[in-house]
Amino acid sequence: MQRFRLFAGLIICALASISLASSDLAGQPAPDFALKSANGENLRLSEYRGDVVMINFWATWCGPCRQEMPLLDELYSRYQRVGFNLLGVNIDDDTGRAMKMIDELGVTFPVLFDSRKEVSKLYEVEAMPVTVLVDREGKVRHVHHGYKPGYEDKYLDQIRSLLRE
Amino acid sequence: MTRVFISYLARSIVATMLVAFAATTIAQEAAPADAVQPEQSRSLDQEVQALKNEVLDLNRDLFLLEEDLLFPANSQVALFVSMDVGEYFALDSVTVKIDGKEVSNYLYTEREVDALIRGGVHRLHMANLKTGEHQLVAVFIGKGPHGRDYRRGATMTIDKGIGAKYVELKISDRVRQQQPEFIIRDWE
Repeated sequence: MQRFRLFAGLIICALASISLASSDLAGQPAPDFALKSANGENLRLSEYRGDVVMINFWATWCGPCRQEMPLLDELYSRYQRVGFNLLGVNIDDDTGRAMKMIDELGVTFPVLFDSRKEVSKLYEVEAMPVTVLVDREGKVRHVHHGYKPGYEDKYLDQIRSLLRE
Repeated sequence: MTRVFISYLARSIVATMLVAFAATTIAQEAAPADAVQPEQSRSLDQEVQALKNEVLDLNRDLFLLEEDLLFPANSQVALFVSMDVGEYFALDSVTVKIDGKEVSNYLYTEREVDALIRGGVHRLHMANLKTGEHQLVAVFIGKGPHGRDYRRGATMTIDKGIGAKYVELKISDRVRQQQPEFIIRDWE
């Protein structure tokens, strides 16, 4: 009986690791997309090849996003001149609410609207916020689900190391 | 599925050839050194070269076969977007429906529009269609004269025969009317 339990446990662990690995984008080429931005311009990810790009998926109803966005904006203003870009992808159905929140928070990075949820599907966004770091070669290097105070230090380290590559 | 099968087939063939090549090399090496004549080594070189050529040929054939299977020339339809001048229209996006089903919704960035204005042609979509008539609807969205929002559709019935079909979605300026013009036409 004990052997059976151990065997079943091993199988469950194996299945769990397979499902985690399959949902992990890290190491794979970042799926390309083009979206309309808040200032009306269309932006395409592949046009940022050569820069380190952070893609931050957010929504107006997400509390941690509200906390995180001003901190991300600080990173953006600090590293933008050395080849760092930040694309905030909003997934709300109503873009008006998103525009209002951008104004309130005063963020300066480009915000794109994914009302059709096509890009969030491409990036397997199942939590809010999700932050993806793409290296200069266009490969996904880090994926962060959710936000807790202190994550910004992790982002900082990762951005700096990707910029050095 | 086809892609997986082809890559499996390719790998098996290449592996078999490599094994055969290794066996030949080992057989040659196993012979006493003093028995190898210059002529023999030359013929071995030639064999290796021939084998390399065969591998390259095989690779090319597999590539073509893969393309043929995924997009058979008989059912292939490719849609291209081109733009002429673009003074009366700033392109934002193109949506294409074939037989009522949306097959493409492409947003153009500033750089892409610039490339189109400079004479670039964009392959918007590639599809497989059965022979017969198909309804193609293209909706062009952007800014028209005086920066006004502009949305215009163009329709064409594609008569898909045997052989590949190339369709051009062309945006040009009608100087006399000071309006953009949207044309869908066959590329012969």
